Amino acid sequence: MKILIIEDEQELAEDMVKYLTNEQYLCEYASDFQTAMKKIYEHDYDCILLDIMLPGGDGLIILEELKRLNKQDGVIIISAKNAIEDKIKGLKLGADDYLAKPFHQAELAARVESLIRRKQFDSNNQIVQNEIIIDINAKTVKVHNVPINLTKKEYDLLLFFIGNKNRVLSKGALAEHLSGDFADMFDNHDFVYAHVKNLKRKLKEKEYGDYIKTIYGTGYKWEK
Amino acid sequence: MTRLLNKPLKAFALYAMIILVISIPVYVLVIDYIWKSELDENNWLTLQHTKQNLQSKQFTPVEIENINQIWGELQPGVSIVKAENTIFFKDSIYEVIRPNVYDEDDGKDRFRSLKSLVQLNGEPYILTIETNVEESDETFAAVALITLLFFVILIFGFILLNKRIAAKTWYSFYQTLSSLKSFELSKDSAIYLPESDIQEFQELNQSLHYLIANNVNTYQQQKSFIENASHELQTPIALLKSKMDLLIQQKDISPEIRELVNSIAAPLSRLSRINKNLLLLAKVENHQYSNQEQLDIKEFIETGIILFEDYLNEKQFELSNHLTKSLVVNANSFLLETLIYNLLSNTIRHTQKGGKINIYSNENSIVISNSGKESLDHTQLFKRFSSTTKDKISSGLGLAIIQEIANKYEWKVHYSFESGFHIFSVSFN
Repeated sequence: MKILIIEDEQELAEDMVKYLTNEQYLCEYASDFQTAMKKIYEHDYDCILLDIMLPGGDGLIILEELKRLNKQDGVIIISAKNAIEDKIKGLKLGADDYLAKPFHQAELAARVESLIRRKQFDSNNQIVQNEIIIDINAKTVKVHNVPINLTKKEYDLLLFFIGNKNRVLSKGALAEHLSGDFADMFDNHDFVYAHVKNLKRKLKEKEYGDYIKTIYGTGYKWEK
Repeated sequence: MTRLLNKPLKAFALYAMIILVISIPVYVLVIDYIWKSELDENNWLTLQHTKQNLQSKQFTPVEIENINQIWGELQPGVSIVKAENTIFFKDSIYEVIRPNVYDEDDGKDRFRSLKSLVQLNGEPYILTIETNVEESDETFAAVALITLLFFVILIFGFILLNKRIAAKTWYSFYQTLSSLKSFELSKDSAIYLPESDIQEFQELNQSLHYLIANNVNTYQQQKSFIENASHELQTPIALLKSKMDLLIQQKDISPEIRELVNSIAAPLSRLSRINKNLLLLAKVENHQYSNQEQLDIKEFIETGIILFEDYLNEKQFELSNHLTKSLVVNANSFLLETLIYNLLSNTIRHTQKGGKINIYSNENSIVISNSGKESLDHTQLFKRFSSTTKDKISSGLGLAIIQEIANKYEWKVHYSFESGFHIFSVSFN
């Protein structure tokens, strides 16, 4: 899978490359408008992370150009402006998702994963993770072919974990994923423990591989 | 408080009254003096004339007696009588008040008299001449009456002039005043101060223009400073957050370092929130978020409750939402969402574990109440970074944001503390 990161803040782009790159993903990055345009003309990407504020031009023009060229690249808009107008404009122009800075890398990874999955499978959208099978369309989970009943939040957490395999997830990142932008209105995210505990218990009952590990003092990790 | 123009009017009226009151006795004395000197002169002339005629005619004492009698009948007060003794005396002037048969009112009149010694046929006679003179109390009454009349005319004139001056001269001043009253620094509206042909007002308006322009400028600079500063802070904050995410991925981190890294997360998230809120405030102040649509408050509250469910459950609140009918307002959806969520999160943060939260609506307003111990400081509550509690979790901007959004739509935010409940209400009009 190829991911293009269009971001003028070099350090941030490098962090994103570091975090996202694994055996599945190959990341490239462009730090200005011209380089980005050149890259989208020359290559196809599975996912493009697009910062709207770019030196040399408006990131939204790149999005318009992608649509004009009828490219199938998935686009996630990343905006430091935190402006609702940009979000609406971007989504109207055909972007697939929107993420406001500052964000957790884990959130970005989960969004990229989810977008690529959506682009790859049209009808039979399933995630198979060893003995766990998740049906994205029906929102059902089976372990060893036995369906388990998860709450919406437990289901969201499971997807978040699978989108961030082998990475340590902080409590803050998990809370932000569950409560959205408004999680930062609170400092105490202890409720995350309860949801993870329940998810672990339900998966364990059906004898899954015990992939969710507690990293003391930090959070959790899905170890395959 | 007196109006500006009534102050000199009162002073002028008082001054005019004092002067006019003083003028009354002065007039009376002057008139009296003129009267007396004129009558004395008249009496003296009559005396000289009479003396000369009597002396030249050589009347016998019997004839003189007859003249005295005829005189006494024809003109009372004039007499010529033989002096009892021969003591020589100078002409004397005196006043006498006695009944006057011709006076129909009180029958008493004031007379100015001249008494003189005259030698007729070698005998001394006393010649007396009297002339009626106006009494001074009558003069006083007349002068006082006229003065009062003029005083009334004067005051009437003052009031009329005052009104004319107010309408014409002070017009631009009152216009300036009303412009100033309606001027609000935060509304970005230009101020109109009318031209005036009066130097002082023109100078006043120029000074005000200068002062306001300076203030507007400073205010704009401050606003854009806040927006630019928080904008610039976004990137380093984003980098910090991202570095933290990478840092916790490192293997073989000692528990001590993990603890340290973990303790950075909370202040970092606080920093991020403060910055986000500052940027939001600056944007609301700068009149961004201008899109408006019809929105149902009830839906926003319900969504908020679901969104904050975990935080509500964690603190074991007893939450009752009494909203039954929709309350539709015209606003920007992001701002309304921010207002409602801030109100809810504020309540959740500041309510003790196991406390009660009630949400209900009145006509055109929503009320959120939560159990608490003591009233918060009304004067500080909606100010930025004012700490009304010892709670360090809040960014100190939540209520300021609520207030700012309410101001934008001219909604009213109200706080009160009643029987163990903090009550926040927002009235939408």
